[in-house]
Amino acid sequence: MISLFLDIKDLNVDLKDFHLQNINLQVKEGAYHVLIGPTGSGKSVLLETIAGFYKPYQGQIMLEGKDITPLNPEDRGISIVYQDYVLFPHMNVFENISYGLKKKNKSDKSFLESRVYEMAEKLKIDHLLKRDTRTLSGGEMQRTAIARSLIVEPKLLLMDEPFSAVDVNTHAYLTTLIKNVIEEYQTTCIHVTHNFNDVYNLAEQVAVMKDGKILQQGTLHDVFSRPSDDFVANFVGVHNVFKGQIVGHDKSLLKIRINHDIIIHSSDVFEQHSSDKTDVMVAIRPESIIFSNEPFISSVRNQLKGVVKNLFEVGHTVWIEVQVGGVTFRGVLTPNSCESLGIERGKEIYLSFKSLNVNLMEYHDDAYRSI
Amino acid sequence: MKSKMEISFISIAIFFTLILFMAVGSLFILPSFQGFIDAIQSEEMVEAFKLTIYTAAISSVLVMLVAIPTAYSLSRYSFPLKTLIKSILDLPMAFPEIVLGLALLMLFGNNLLGGFLEKFGIQIVFTVTGVIVAQFFVAFPFAVRILYSTFNYIDTRYEFVSRSLGYSEFETFRSVTLPLSKDGIFASGVVTIARCIGTFVAVLFLGGGTFMKTETLPITLYLNLSFGNVDMAISAGIVLVIIAFVAIVVLEKYGKEKAL
Repeated sequence: MISLFLDIKDLNVDLKDFHLQNINLQVKEGAYHVLIGPTGSGKSVLLETIAGFYKPYQGQIMLEGKDITPLNPEDRGISIVYQDYVLFPHMNVFENISYGLKKKNKSDKSFLESRVYEMAEKLKIDHLLKRDTRTLSGGEMQRTAIARSLIVEPKLLLMDEPFSAVDVNTHAYLTTLIKNVIEEYQTTCIHVTHNFNDVYNLAEQVAVMKDGKILQQGTLHDVFSRPSDDFVANFVGVHNVFKGQIVGHDKSLLKIRINHDIIIHSSDVFEQHSSDKTDVMVAIRPESIIFSNEPFISSVRNQLKGVVKNLFEVGHTVWIEVQVGGVTFRGVLTPNSCESLGIERGKEIYLSFKSLNVNLMEYHDDAYRSI
Repeated sequence: MKSKMEISFISIAIFFTLILFMAVGSLFILPSFQGFIDAIQSEEMVEAFKLTIYTAAISSVLVMLVAIPTAYSLSRYSFPLKTLIKSILDLPMAFPEIVLGLALLMLFGNNLLGGFLEKFGIQIVFTVTGVIVAQFFVAFPFAVRILYSTFNYIDTRYEFVSRSLGYSEFETFRSVTLPLSKDGIFASGVVTIARCIGTFVAVLFLGGGTFMKTETLPITLYLNLSFGNVDMAISAGIVLVIIAFVAIVVLEKYGKEKAL
């Protein structure tokens, strides 16, 4: 049975110029939990509060069913890894890695050496043990920092943007290496990142933060496909977020009108808090939109005709903006698909997307203004 | 080709450094060599040198023992009146040493704290203890200022990481913060020793400047200059310059080793 490992209840932290407000976060044992959110949303403060560096004025942090809120950082069994490594500059690689273990096993020198060597070997830094940390590359420093944290076998590992200071190739290598080591040690992990590749590759659970609050948490699929509000939708790259109005039902589907003249269908289960309020927010991921030169013959319930307004290449993809009435839809294609469809500015094109991919969110005035 | 600004600024630097060097160098020119040898071998000079080193060693150790926790608390913790305490500690650096000497004399004289301490047999004014107390209060604000900047410069996340790895607050302070502050502690120590050795007015007020009793090297210089004994006065000045020079050389050497 998967038990609730970390349970944060109504946590409030006051740092004078920044506040964490009513944080509720649940992490299962052995899970890889990823925290995302814009800069300044409080992700790092939340990690440091969990580690015990900031005292909450309200709320509880439960770890393995025990309230650790009043405990000092050294008594929590939680390790932290920072973006810029924070390796002790007055110690070499061996001394950095063995630092925490030395505290636990002061007398057993041979045990200490064998454990450090074993951990360094797993992270492929065993040849660097005698090196001054200031002479290491970014990737080597980060592996040393992770080895230092993992060697004490923490109950929970917190990582604050651990791969953002390394180059692209090292990033990909480190992600795989560290994921394997963390899985081997069965360490529960909370990882803060801005990198969506990290989220796709690592996350089992995702939480989105903004202004010191958690807006949504759930599985990767939940958060990316069914964002809870317009901010989360925009942040996780939904791009097509519109104000709409429920105008009726078509069998089990909801009919939604966007911008007076566009009707789309959604199979989303949407609970209206008030029956007289029919306003909703509509979110459609760009990857869910299929482009074609002729009407697409399939069971797809939503098919619209528009004019290509703009297209621009981003890496190995082409982003396309299509004007449908007064609404701009954004989709994404590979350069090959774009070429074979002959897509160019001003061309008429069909957009299709499944009713399953039309996500509905509660409407509020702020949401509409933010779009 | 050097710019006009570069030439002007370098000229200013060289000119005024040269004047300062000439002023210090003139000390070494004026007394005869034999006069200098006789002076430094005189009983008064030997006693003054011993007392200076003895008192400065004690006061410097005391200053560092008190300044490290003071500076760390100002750098890391929030507590009531913190800003006021910081301002009070900075005050002696801003006003003349003579005012500090007078203030210490008032405090440790018979009326205030002095009377109270005397009940326990502790006499401060016009004693060697008074010399140490004066040196302590002159050097303490400088030491705190340097150490405060040092602790502020150290990223608190080193301490966070250490504590997350099982070390208590004090263990972290001992095994991470202090080693990382080594340069600042050393610099602060050198400045403290220099201030303690060179302090004159406060030591004169609180120690009394009694011949061969509470006479440190700066007081030897002052007393002998008052009596017209120029060779002794200048020789005391030379000894002080040599002590300062050794301190600076040690600091420079240590700094270079650290950089390498």
